[in-house]
Amino acid sequence: MMGSGIRSKTAKARLINFFRWILIIFFAAYTLFPLLWLVISSFKTNYEFLAESPFSLPQVWQVENYVKALEVAGLGRMLFNSVVVGLSATLINVAIASMSGYCISRFNFRGREKMFLLFTIGILVPLNALMVPYFVIINKLGLYNTYGGLILLYCAIGIPMSTVIIRGLMDSIPMEIEEAAYIDGCGFYGRFFHVCLPLARTGIVTAATFQFLTCWNEFVFANLIVSSEKLRTIQVGIRYFTNQFSTDYVSMYAAIVISIVPSILGYVIFQEQIISGLTSGAVKG
Amino acid sequence: MKRAEKLLALILAVMMLLSLAACGGEPAAEEPADTAEEPAAQEEIIINFPCIWVGTDSKAAYLAQMVEEFNTENAGSIKVVIEEQTDYQAYRDKLRTLVTTGNIPDISIMDTTFDIKGFAESGKFMDLTPYLDEGWGDNFTEGCFDAWSVDGKVSILPFESAVFPICYNTEILKECGYDSFPETYDEMLQMFKDIKAKGYNAVGQMAGENAWTSMLWYSLIVEAIGGKDVYADGLSNPAFVEAAEVLKEMYNYTFDGAVSAGAADVNGHFLSRDTAIYLNGPWWISNFYKEENAVDGVGLNEIVDVARNPVYEGGKGDGTGVVTTVQGFLACAKQEDPAKEAAVVKFLQYISEPERVSQWALSSGAMFFIKYTPSPDTNEISQKFTEIANNSSYSVLHVNGAMPTAFSTEFPAALSALVLGQTDAQGFVDQLQTAIDNSV
Amino acid sequence: MKPTRSDRRALAAFMAPAVVLILLFFVIPVLYVAVVSLLKWNGITSPEFNALRNFSLLFKDKAFTRSIINNLIWALVAGGIQVPLAMLMAIILSRKPRGWKFFRTVYFFPQVISGIALAALWRSIYNADTGLLNGLLRAMGMGELACDWLGGLETAFPAVLIYWVFYVGYYMVIMMADITTIDSSYYDAATIDGATDFQQAIYITIPLIKNTSLLTCVTLASVLGLRQFEQVYMLTNGQPANTTSTIVLYLYKKLQDANYGMASASAAVLIVVGAIFIICIRRLFRERSAKISGLDTKGVL
Repeated sequence: MMGSGIRSKTAKARLINFFRWILIIFFAAYTLFPLLWLVISSFKTNYEFLAESPFSLPQVWQVENYVKALEVAGLGRMLFNSVVVGLSATLINVAIASMSGYCISRFNFRGREKMFLLFTIGILVPLNALMVPYFVIINKLGLYNTYGGLILLYCAIGIPMSTVIIRGLMDSIPMEIEEAAYIDGCGFYGRFFHVCLPLARTGIVTAATFQFLTCWNEFVFANLIVSSEKLRTIQVGIRYFTNQFSTDYVSMYAAIVISIVPSILGYVIFQEQIISGLTSGAVKG
Repeated sequence: MKRAEKLLALILAVMMLLSLAACGGEPAAEEPADTAEEPAAQEEIIINFPCIWVGTDSKAAYLAQMVEEFNTENAGSIKVVIEEQTDYQAYRDKLRTLVTTGNIPDISIMDTTFDIKGFAESGKFMDLTPYLDEGWGDNFTEGCFDAWSVDGKVSILPFESAVFPICYNTEILKECGYDSFPETYDEMLQMFKDIKAKGYNAVGQMAGENAWTSMLWYSLIVEAIGGKDVYADGLSNPAFVEAAEVLKEMYNYTFDGAVSAGAADVNGHFLSRDTAIYLNGPWWISNFYKEENAVDGVGLNEIVDVARNPVYEGGKGDGTGVVTTVQGFLACAKQEDPAKEAAVVKFLQYISEPERVSQWALSSGAMFFIKYTPSPDTNEISQKFTEIANNSSYSVLHVNGAMPTAFSTEFPAALSALVLGQTDAQGFVDQLQTAIDNSV
Repeated sequence: MKPTRSDRRALAAFMAPAVVLILLFFVIPVLYVAVVSLLKWNGITSPEFNALRNFSLLFKDKAFTRSIINNLIWALVAGGIQVPLAMLMAIILSRKPRGWKFFRTVYFFPQVISGIALAALWRSIYNADTGLLNGLLRAMGMGELACDWLGGLETAFPAVLIYWVFYVGYYMVIMMADITTIDSSYYDAATIDGATDFQQAIYITIPLIKNTSLLTCVTLASVLGLRQFEQVYMLTNGQPANTTSTIVLYLYKKLQDANYGMASASAAVLIVVGAIFIICIRRLFRERSAKISGLDTKGVL
């Protein structure tokens, strides 16, 4: 769709191309390095990790760190809980945020920008300061130590962020398309489902990805409003290897590697299935 | 078609509102949060116990065993349910929130970062004095309640203790010409110089994270200079300024990057045997015996020895004192139901039974405020720790226990400012004093 | 679009769930924070009314004023350097060079990796003794530059700030999502007119995303910069000498001291500072977009 084929082979173009690849590779190396380091560290012994260079290779690759992480910490159950909580909270969150994002993006009602400002400010509220009120709310709703409590809380704390992202991307759908649909007799819901949702799918997927990762990486409230081991999520599991005085770093890193595999797989699949599927069918107007 | 969509959208919206409203309607029917797991019909008393002695903590295995045995013995009448908490900072956050919102757990473990005396005064915790007076109190070491009781009443129970002798690498000391650990601070600082000259680091320090190791050293120096009553007048005692000077000097003999270092760095340097002196509590002893920490077949335990805090020339400490702290308090919520109160006390008495504590100490290396006969199987280094604790004429609290929490929170900032020359020793103490003044 | 009468009811129903959640989980708790910020309270004894004393203590505390400055720098760097870098990469990748899907996924990895691991890695890189950075400097014969990066009064904050700037995946993904929806006919026409890639980016892509995803990203990046906590907490805990402290870290330390009044007061300051910052960003973008128009067919009404 964009002209990558037609390109004059002048020296200038070659230079630009060279710099382009330098940038691409620099950023790739910069982002892959932590992952590589993490994986290598997760195969060391604690002695190697603490007392030797942090950038050397392990003498013997300690597969047992992974065995320990899986067996001792009960990560399987926690992964399952994280998937349940993460997916539910993401689905509900994105549904709600698409609806509000649609309203704020497409309709010029009174107080619209003020309301949007309120949503945006929601992102900068420091959640640490809200431990007490959130605990009280969840407890009063009878949701302490339930999936529901975590799902509701995660869904709610992600609303500002998701709405801001979805609104931003819905804004880029040309108004003409919607006006045409309106003239064709398409009502409020028709325009939402047939025009805006399909066209804003990229934005919604983006918001959903972030929301899911927020749920997946959240720890403070996962620990605060759940007490039963049956409901513990993966971030609680990762901390299994720390205690009051010391940390079993290598096992913790093994647990972290295990915990990010589903996220990365999910992300890759998500990207392939949804984003690429929809860009082709996107805007015609 | 269009109607269907409209319907769908409406249902979606209503559903979400309902799910919220439904949640709002529930709580009346449900039980309060802290007993959410309680089965409704039975007589069995459930005791909830969010606990840090779990997971990889050395006390975890024996505690789990005791809880299981206790639950079996009291099957049908009492059940202790442990809620595993492994991350200490998150555990503190949770406990603080539970206390603030009036949901104090039946039993919990607190440390000196909580306002223990304030909690005791609040009347929200169970008064254990009558039970201690009935003879249970005789199991505890002399005077251990003194610093923490309010109006002669004990409600938050000091339980796990710690002492902080100096551990050192005998091989490095020998190489630098020292057969034994110096007995005065002057000699020790001279030794630090000699060790540094030989290319080793003398002492592990850290101003990063919570500055734990350096705060411990500060406690030791403060004890040596100020003696047993050093905390009587708060930070106005000149010992605190003088101790800051000494602590700052120690940063000349530590490894590179100590200002940003954390616990992992201090531990790593001692494990890799490039740093001669290590300071930490008894819980760390098991690491000396770990096989993975042996180098060329020589275990760390074979080359580590233990020393008392040296004497400071002109200081009030006479070399027979020891720095201690309460590593864990047992705090119990005040109970409405006398049967439940009795059950909680029964469990506390069960785990503080001297024979059990002896086993617990053996399996974990931890120390307790309970009088017990140590097992003969106790390892050598643990024995030396206990000896130092027992052969002391007085004990002084670790600063983080003796001072309000705000002191410990501010300590890393004040220390790094001191070490980097942004402030002097007096400024360091003033900064800590201001933090205390502004706290609640 | 102006809502018609029948639209209004639907609009209300559509906004309702989000508004209810915002009220319950943001407005009410923030009101609570506002009230507590006026109290002297340790969470266990009964609170005392303290008027504005918490705020006066805050602004007397150098650690707090330093935190505000750090956060503002952070927000500016995030919005002014990190997001433009992300935009550059989004433009490059949306031209679909070889393997662009792979790179798009890779750039996103740091978001997936838990913050603990990222902080641990960078602590190791900056380590004075065994760190990669000092190792590189020594290898290049610039050993005299090697230092304790996270332990120096001058170096710690830049060190904490800089490494984060190059993790651009988050914003890049948002902007790529937007760029892919741009009608290809714009580019076709420009190519026929002989416009270079660079000119196309300047005259087509950037104006078209400016008021949508670019604004979103600048807003998000600045807000997250103002709210920065986790990385600083794990890398330096605000040290040395509070030079890397941020408002939320400061707040968290006050919570550790059970000083609910001052913790809430610092939360209140953050919200006010942040709100002003966001309004400024939106003004800035709106003024600019009023000046440049022409190509701007996509509407913010």
